[in-house]
Amino acid sequence: MRHGSAGDAGTWLVGGAASICLAAMLMVLVVLLGAGLSPFWPASLVELQLRDGRSVIGERVAASDDTLILRTSEREHVGGAYVRIADRDVAAQAQPADAFVIALADGRRLFGRGDASAAAAMAYEVSSTAIVEETLWPNAIGTPARIAVFFRHLGRFLGSSSAASASVGGALPALVGTVTLVLLMSLIVMPFGVATAVYLHERSDGAARLVRSAIANLAGVPSIVYGVLGLGLFVHGFGAGIDRALYADRLPVPTFGSGGLLWAALTLALLTLPVVVVSVEEGLARIPASLRAGSLALGATRGETMWRLLLPAARPALLTGLILAIARAAGAVAPLMLVGVVKLAPALPIDGEFPYLHPSRQFMHLGFAVYDAALASPDAMRGISRAFACALLLVGVVIALNLTAIVLRHRLRERYRALES
Amino acid sequence: MSVRPDTYVAFLSADDALALATRRRRRERAGQAVVAAGTTVVLGALLVIPLFLIVSLLPWKPLPVGGWERLGVLLAGSLKAAVCALLVAVPLGIATAVFNAHFCAPRLRGWIKPSLEILEAIPTVVLGLIAVATLAPWLKMNIATLLALLVIVPALLLGAGMIFGHRLRRHQGWLPIGLLPIVLAVVAMVVVVASQRSEVSIVPASPWNSVLIGLALGLASVPLVFSIAEDALMRIPAAHTQAALALGATRWQALTSIVLPAAASGLVAAIVLGASRCIGETMIVLMASGNTPLMGLDPLTGLRTISAELALGLPEAEPSSDVYRMLLLATLALFALTFVFNLLAERVRASLRRTSTPGTYAA
Repeated sequence: MRHGSAGDAGTWLVGGAASICLAAMLMVLVVLLGAGLSPFWPASLVELQLRDGRSVIGERVAASDDTLILRTSEREHVGGAYVRIADRDVAAQAQPADAFVIALADGRRLFGRGDASAAAAMAYEVSSTAIVEETLWPNAIGTPARIAVFFRHLGRFLGSSSAASASVGGALPALVGTVTLVLLMSLIVMPFGVATAVYLHERSDGAARLVRSAIANLAGVPSIVYGVLGLGLFVHGFGAGIDRALYADRLPVPTFGSGGLLWAALTLALLTLPVVVVSVEEGLARIPASLRAGSLALGATRGETMWRLLLPAARPALLTGLILAIARAAGAVAPLMLVGVVKLAPALPIDGEFPYLHPSRQFMHLGFAVYDAALASPDAMRGISRAFACALLLVGVVIALNLTAIVLRHRLRERYRALES
Repeated sequence: MSVRPDTYVAFLSADDALALATRRRRRERAGQAVVAAGTTVVLGALLVIPLFLIVSLLPWKPLPVGGWERLGVLLAGSLKAAVCALLVAVPLGIATAVFNAHFCAPRLRGWIKPSLEILEAIPTVVLGLIAVATLAPWLKMNIATLLALLVIVPALLLGAGMIFGHRLRRHQGWLPIGLLPIVLAVVAMVVVVASQRSEVSIVPASPWNSVLIGLALGLASVPLVFSIAEDALMRIPAAHTQAALALGATRWQALTSIVLPAAASGLVAAIVLGASRCIGETMIVLMASGNTPLMGLDPLTGLRTISAELALGLPEAEPSSDVYRMLLLATLALFALTFVFNLLAERVRASLRRTSTPGTYAA
């Protein structure tokens, strides 16, 4: 063996570790894409002839070595008709072309065989008042038609606001809640973050050092601690005080004294403050000093230089800070659980009624929908699928925001290169 | 022609110029006041966390019976989860950082860092979901497979490096890409072979156990450990490595004898910050740890951390009740623990920055 082969082995080990990291990241994305998109795909229906003479029709939801789980017609309630069938009991298995699935508006599914009139008769027989959302013959349609159905389901998930219960219906209320929350948070965090960054840029005395180390330490405080602060100080402190002063006639029903949009936005603003400050300050520091010196030499005050020259030049850094803050806030679920996120809100926090934005209302959130659907859904099979669909949507939003930040950072560097030359 | 008065001072009369100067001075002061006020609010908001926790625990009343024991169990749970996660995150994160900083082909370097940044951007609730819905059912049956993988993959890498390493040394900057399909194939093969066996050799006490937490939380912390360790390694001037190479050392020798000792404090900071992050992480442990308050070192049992207790208990707790106060005390403990860790890491990193800026070695 040649000299240095131990070193080569070590190199391969660290290289292997790097590829394990890449593999893990790829696996996370693949699992997420697969499990997040498969609920929208129209699965084939199977009809099983059992050895005891019965036959069942439905869709396969899970299978292990020797059993499979079938979802059959849910005549009573959602999630009420799973059957577990051992493989040895199955005499024959078929995918009849005339098998249909009826999706009712309350989330139930009915399975049967026959043409459109048979399907309508079955829906009427199960419940004369239920609204039929869709009737499909998935075994009879080809791949292009299935793709069309897939996109229809996806569109319904993204765009439907009919939240009859948390486990069916679209993700729109949760999406609206998430977006409203992070927008309100941005309105709060940006002025303070930029003011602090300007202060840190202009000063370098003891006070600035104190602020800087406080910010560095705040970036490392666990997010749940912010949630405790939001609950204890904002909700039980400020909120209860506002209620006593302004809404005394409604007590003991709390208005601001329970978790709501405003308190959640304030909590997240605290959480994302370090991100904004660091990013804006870095952007200001990257601007060539000659620019600032030139402005001051021409007689502009420091304030005028900052307002008219440096902040406009650092606009991409401001945007980067904002986007990173939004991405961090959109993924922070733990603090929200303490300050007003609910699994099913009676009304959206933003609507057409005066004053349009309702800061005291409870709201829904995509991240919390993931948690709730995965662990607290009465129908575990559907819950997991729904959790993955919401998770994919959330990750899509967050990654899109992060990629925008990366592109902006690149543009920003190009821009300063142009300034320097 | 409209002239903006504050732009063309020379056109103004003496009175107007004086008025303008006064206005500008006032505006300047107002601007400074706004910035100072904003910063004061921020500083106040930053100091309010510990102050709020301490003030709301005063006047001090003793905890109810069993309160301290419960706190101890939760603290032990948090530390156990953090240790399990670090066992995954530290080797992976630091090894990846070492490769990226020392061996990596420059073009590949531009890809590894953004990939890990994307991993960092994935919300922890999503990783918790994958842990509880995808990983837990597999791990319940396959603890032994995992152990086998832990032995087989490193052994295979070391062996392959021994045999093929010197021949492929020119291309070692691209190792992760070359090894990626091989690692995936080996893992897939072991998993498939293991799934052929019918009996399960190691049965965990709970499907939501510390091993699962270690894998999920560890994966979530890899990007943080990586970025801090890589930052520390990148601060070592390239001239050091080049000098070692010129004197006849291999890249591996330059790494172990020059770069790693110089960057050691930065690597320690990466571990400490990783620990701080693991202790405070909520969603993954909340979803995948089973939330059973058990004490003990067995890695196959569930656990319950401070953060999970807070997320589960606080929304129901009545303000100023005994439970509420105990939870606030738990929050204070969590805050103090992470604060000390962060402070420690910041000190270590600051000392590294002072001693290792390029140029201090130049003399």
